[in-house]
Amino acid sequence: MKSLVALAAAAAFTASFAAYGQAKPPPAWHQGKSAKQADSKLAPHPGKMTETPAGEIPISKLKLPRGFKAEVWATGMPGARAMAASEDGKKVYLGTRVIGRVYEVTDNGSSRSVRVLVDKLTQPSGVAMNKGNLYVFAIDKVLRFDNVASNPGAQPVDMTKAFDLPPEQHHNWKYIAFGPDGKLYVPFGAPCNICEPPSKEYAQIRRYNADGSGKEVIATGVRNSVGFDWHPKTKELWFTDHGRDWAGDKGFEDELNRVTKVGANYGFPYCHNNSTPDPDVKKAKACEGVTKPAALMGPHSAVMGIKFYTGKMFPAEYQNTAFVVRKGSWNREKPSGFDMVNVRVSSDGKATIRPFASGWQEGGEGYKFWGRPAYVQQMPDGALLVSDEQLGAIYRISYQKPAAAKK
Amino acid sequence: MQLLRKGRWALLATALFVSTAFSQEKVPLCVSCHGPGGNSATPGTPSIAGQPKLFMENQLVLFREGIRKSPVMTPLMAGISDKEITALSDHFSKQDVRVEKGNLDQKLFSRGRELAGKLKCGICHLSDFSGQKQMPRLAGQREDYLASEMRAYLANQRPDTTMTAALYGVKDDEIRALAHFLSRSAPRPAAKK
Repeated sequence: MKSLVALAAAAAFTASFAAYGQAKPPPAWHQGKSAKQADSKLAPHPGKMTETPAGEIPISKLKLPRGFKAEVWATGMPGARAMAASEDGKKVYLGTRVIGRVYEVTDNGSSRSVRVLVDKLTQPSGVAMNKGNLYVFAIDKVLRFDNVASNPGAQPVDMTKAFDLPPEQHHNWKYIAFGPDGKLYVPFGAPCNICEPPSKEYAQIRRYNADGSGKEVIATGVRNSVGFDWHPKTKELWFTDHGRDWAGDKGFEDELNRVTKVGANYGFPYCHNNSTPDPDVKKAKACEGVTKPAALMGPHSAVMGIKFYTGKMFPAEYQNTAFVVRKGSWNREKPSGFDMVNVRVSSDGKATIRPFASGWQEGGEGYKFWGRPAYVQQMPDGALLVSDEQLGAIYRISYQKPAAAKK
Repeated sequence: MQLLRKGRWALLATALFVSTAFSQEKVPLCVSCHGPGGNSATPGTPSIAGQPKLFMENQLVLFREGIRKSPVMTPLMAGISDKEITALSDHFSKQDVRVEKGNLDQKLFSRGRELAGKLKCGICHLSDFSGQKQMPRLAGQREDYLASEMRAYLANQRPDTTMTAALYGVKDDEIRALAHFLSRSAPRPAAKK
């Protein structure tokens, strides 16, 4: 039976490629390497799939602005990525990729407990709460756990059929979120490093009604967005997007984009950053009609989660600014990212970046990181939670006004 | 003070013993198929001696989670803790590899060596194919196992698609040459890793 399933999967896979006349397997991370780069040893960093106890996390190495403090809030969730919290913040749900689990973290006040809510899924990285119901997006499956916080034994409703998920895995691990319009926003990445996508259903962000109906493409030319949020005042969508690899240490940069028009084109695969045509996938007038990014976020920095701050805990200057997490590069000789930055945005869509949290990577030259921050979540008390995918942990960042210096 | 010091050592010794026993307890079960010291003499069963620790940890977790499909390994890993997985991985990563030397086909060996260079296997698996981090040791692995794994990757039957892409277009007679060459190559000794 197992081999039958595998055979069927292999056949479906072959068919999906034969369908667009490209006799190739899914192009993976090393697709797009130039002949000159053939001997490069750069490769994605391996994840850690076993638990890391709190005592092994060097949290004191994190650097934050004065008055801010970081503590280890929860551990024991290997592969932890995006977070979705219950309204009271007592339960936090986390998606993962390869390990196939969704975790539920319960805040017991002074400590946290962790359980696996669901497992054995294919990269269930997308989690979002809507009216007490938890949505989980895997590559090939959508599950909804109704009233999950109060109903620990909730059996999932399988919503897969309603969402029309395409077959390719690469860059199709999800970040999902409900917008202020009540709709569910879902990205569909390009299944390659750099290519003309095999069909129209990739390299875009869509939104749906909560039941999966009303599918609408709201952004195209989006290579791999795994984070977005809405500006608290303008209600505009801001999304992060990973730039292409194997184009050198300087390029291309990851982006922060603003959506002001439904269906706008963000350039992939022909045009990147501030109107630079792609060196490999070419077409005439590559950048015509392409929306430029609001900010460049650093080459290969792996820009992930974004959250506009609306809490009461942090100083007023942070109100309505965005915290953006950069998990850190692999396709670069010199590391970039491995931090969380603060982004101020103006009403005309300009964005300026300043450092906020760093120290996951030690030293400037070689790769000497101990953790990789991935997502940020605002809690009811105004503190921020930051997930670390490498160590399977959540850190809590809080603020207390420093005592006035003695005269 | 002296007593206290002694007591502390005794406690440390006990802790060391317990943690070793904890992992060692499952070792006989592993070697019953994977062979003494993790050098397999069983067709279809890989050698696990000298495999990189992270590679072993990842694979054992994936078996336990049912993400990497194996009707043999998944039931065996049911309920195993992350700590036990780490201890077992550490143990086998330190065992020396016994390389099969018999039935050498010089022509096949040379062809495999040439293909391994062309396919740049050594970029990730290292130039002596000892493996590193999450990538397995290929040198000294069982010939039949190397071939069947490459075929499984080509048929997209493994959770990771990196190798599927790396092997794309490799023909079956090339797989046989690669498997022959790699199985008869010697990795660096465990002590020198």
